[in-house]
Amino acid sequence: MTIDEAPGADDGASKVGPLPFDVTKAHQARMYDYYLGGKDNFAADRAAVDEHIKIYPDLVFTMRANRAFLGRAVRYLTAEAGIRQFLDIGTGIPTAGNTHEIAQAIAPESRVVYVDYDPVVLAHARALLDSNDAGATEYLDADLRDTGTILTQAAELLDFTKPVAITLMSILHAVPDADNPHAIVAMLLDAVPPGSYLAISHFGEELMSAEAREALMGSIKRTSLQRYTSRTREQMARFFDGTDLVEPGLVPVEEWRPDPGAGGQGKSVYWCAVGRKR
Amino acid sequence: METAVPSGETPDADPDESPAEATALRMLLGAQLRRLREAAGISPEKAGYEIRASRSKISRMETGRVGLKLRDIEDLLTLYDVLDKKQRAKVIALASRSREPEWWTQYNDILPDWFETYLGLESAATAIRSFETQFVPGLFQTEDYARAVTRLGHQTAPEPEIERRVRLRLARQDLLSRARRPRIWAIMDEAVLRRPQGGARVMRAQLARLAEAARLPGVTLQVVPFSRGGHAAASGSFSILRFEERDLPDVVYVEQLTSALYLDQRADVEHYLEVVNQLSGEALTPADTALFIEQAIKET
Repeated sequence: MTIDEAPGADDGASKVGPLPFDVTKAHQARMYDYYLGGKDNFAADRAAVDEHIKIYPDLVFTMRANRAFLGRAVRYLTAEAGIRQFLDIGTGIPTAGNTHEIAQAIAPESRVVYVDYDPVVLAHARALLDSNDAGATEYLDADLRDTGTILTQAAELLDFTKPVAITLMSILHAVPDADNPHAIVAMLLDAVPPGSYLAISHFGEELMSAEAREALMGSIKRTSLQRYTSRTREQMARFFDGTDLVEPGLVPVEEWRPDPGAGGQGKSVYWCAVGRKR
Repeated sequence: METAVPSGETPDADPDESPAEATALRMLLGAQLRRLREAAGISPEKAGYEIRASRSKISRMETGRVGLKLRDIEDLLTLYDVLDKKQRAKVIALASRSREPEWWTQYNDILPDWFETYLGLESAATAIRSFETQFVPGLFQTEDYARAVTRLGHQTAPEPEIERRVRLRLARQDLLSRARRPRIWAIMDEAVLRRPQGGARVMRAQLARLAEAARLPGVTLQVVPFSRGGHAAASGSFSILRFEERDLPDVVYVEQLTSALYLDQRADVEHYLEVVNQLSGEALTPADTALFIEQAIKET
């Protein structure tokens, strides 16, 4: 996630570090909480979301589908891929079905390191994401763009000689091109051994009409702390260089191994994929 | 902003309902009636007039502080144009279920109405966040500590009354052993740990109890150390209670010497939420808080 200190400098690299405390502007984590029916959001967050969904009503579906994708991905990674270590970057405000809950329900010994750059969001995670006894959860205050810091600290909590799943849900579109998100992901992948996994969801360029996208970006710029960069299928695919994509490959979030009976195919505006490091 | 006032109505007992749920049900009922009233475009004054009650009674009812007679609810539903039999029956059923005496009625002699409301909310909440500037949160107080702070507040009270107040406080702690207990996230100013209520021995035992509480699942404690300088809550102690039902707003509780404030207007609640959020970011992490409490035990 990024914050623009100078509004107008849209695609420029933004300041790295903890997010300042501000509830007068909409915040991605709190907007997501509102989308998911939580109560940890403020007037500015709700006003922004209400404006955004007027522009694009299927954002509601997208956010819920994104949350559901996290659940299915973590379940797959734990139950089928045998992963027991997770690095969840861009934790957000805890809601039902958090990474460690899903993983530990399948494999109680699973370890999860949550990373967020917002001290308030991380305080929520620390307070609300209780681990079971067998496994463990840890928390890192760090900005995704401080990738080296994340890796150094995570290496004390996770065993980087064994496979790790790195999850980057709905966060990379908040990293502008100038901050080189592809290099960030490559650096993360470099640090983990073959057989590790990468799971990403990301605002997709082709999934929303240019008109709607422009209106939405205009609204976000007016109302929100963060800025977003949509990316094409090809740009999304490049995050997975050096991995083999798990079936069904790169698809909208609701189409990734959907639960039987789940509907809404083609409605979301988020790409997703899960890849296994070669 | 509102203060609680007792309903003066005698609840009909319903053996099928666990007492702790009654308050939540009343709040849920109130929230539904508010939605129906707003959908019908009817003012609280007009609704009050219909059942020969004041505007403020309507708003207290809609926030679950007081109950209503079933007949009054029937009249309101008609006024709100809710004529569908099934829909009416659902609301009435909820109203019937929400009339249940609570465990603390046995403490009526020492229990002010404004605090009775808090007990109702506390037992119905799914999450309680609080900031304490002076005292250990009531749910984690030891008997001796509770006695010391009760004496502070009631200096002229006879000993039997003090004991009943202490009993009440300890009875509240049964909440912690309930299967469905609220998540508790308490932030304390360092002064809470340093002020030796009841003397050093009592305080050490109290701190040890806090250290134990910090290890309970669903309990999060954080301390704002003096070294952090000024902090976000210039205001003083408060609690924010959250309820499971999506319709129910958070309620902020601010205790005063002779009464309490219950805030449930969004703008008010969000101001407190903002403060407690900021405090949670400024305070020591739960892990560092545990170490801090251990250190405080050694220094007491």
